[in-house]
Amino acid sequence: MIKTPICEILGIEYPIFQGGMAWIADADLAAAVSNAGGLGIISAMNADGEWLRKEIRKAKSLTDKPFGVNIMLMSPHVEEVSKLVAEEKVAVVVTGAGNPSKYMKDWIKAGIKVIPVVPSTGIAKLVARNGAVAVIAEGGESGGHVGEITTMSLVPQVCDAVDIPVLAAGGIADGRGIAASFMLGAVGVQLGTRFLVAKECNVHQNYKNKILKAKDIDTMTTGKRLGHPVRALKTPFSREFLKMEYNSNVSDAELEAYGAGSLYAAAILGDEKKGSFMSGQIAAMVKKEQTAAEIIKEIFEDAEKVLRGGTKWVK
Amino acid sequence: MTTFEKVANILVDAKDCEADKIKMESTWAELELDSLDTVELVMNLEDEFSISLEMNEDMKTVGDVVKAIDAALE
Repeated sequence: MIKTPICEILGIEYPIFQGGMAWIADADLAAAVSNAGGLGIISAMNADGEWLRKEIRKAKSLTDKPFGVNIMLMSPHVEEVSKLVAEEKVAVVVTGAGNPSKYMKDWIKAGIKVIPVVPSTGIAKLVARNGAVAVIAEGGESGGHVGEITTMSLVPQVCDAVDIPVLAAGGIADGRGIAASFMLGAVGVQLGTRFLVAKECNVHQNYKNKILKAKDIDTMTTGKRLGHPVRALKTPFSREFLKMEYNSNVSDAELEAYGAGSLYAAAILGDEKKGSFMSGQIAAMVKKEQTAAEIIKEIFEDAEKVLRGGTKWVK
Repeated sequence: MTTFEKVANILVDAKDCEADKIKMESTWAELELDSLDTVELVMNLEDEFSISLEMNEDMKTVGDVVKAIDAALE
């Protein structure tokens, strides 16, 4: 059995979070992961308060275990949803895409445990000072919005920078990834792509099929020019986006407009032409649809084996 | 040394900015600093001046930060 401080802090069985993937991580997936002993997370993405309240209440009806909400700080509804999570007293708020400092006081007052995703040691120190109970150091191997630094480089540096627990994210698909994260100093992990193909995940079947079929070299990043790069599977959409990005005749506004709605097209409509199928670099390591409980049990059994064998080269 | 000079020194030292390009009215974008750079910069400034700074969207230029530091020091 693997137990770390993050299990005690949050009252969860396994030190694993399911990533708050926009248009993908809803109440069904979050509740399934929480019921399986991890921390399920609903993505607030760009949705308004009404949608989020419904999802939170649905998750509460599906599980009595703690779950979290991922608040995307670039959302046009960020003010509304940040008030709403405090009202609904969700157990955990995870933040992404920015600096959450100005909202943290209200969340902490409401008894929420705040665990921001951090792409640098500077942000990690800042949120630790503002009362975060832990941070998720997410490297650029992950899917969706990515930072520059890889998980291998970022996790130990964040561990050195702060005194609070660190979770590793980006590039983790199985027990080896968990064991490696622990060796880097993390006490937990967050996985997105692996949970995307969970049986309880409502994402379009075309999306799951694409992940299951993907090979190691099948992801790419686009959008660097706009200041917020995104990792997704190589598809007609992402190839075209890259061409436009390198075409100086295409304005930033045109590029933004081309990308708008592309994740919805992938996740909800399964549109293989217009969709942006965001995925981590480990897509090729995701080989079958399983329930959230099967995924968590399998990867922690493997992690335990790897960790027990970790001393085999020490003579 | 004035607050501006100290801030400029930190920008040169920590962020490799070119000294002659740093003006009170220089924006982060002009100095080619992204949001992660500015967060790190604020942490450096807090250590240097032993103050607590709240970075927000209204702080767009070197001058904005200099004013915030002077206000915090008063």
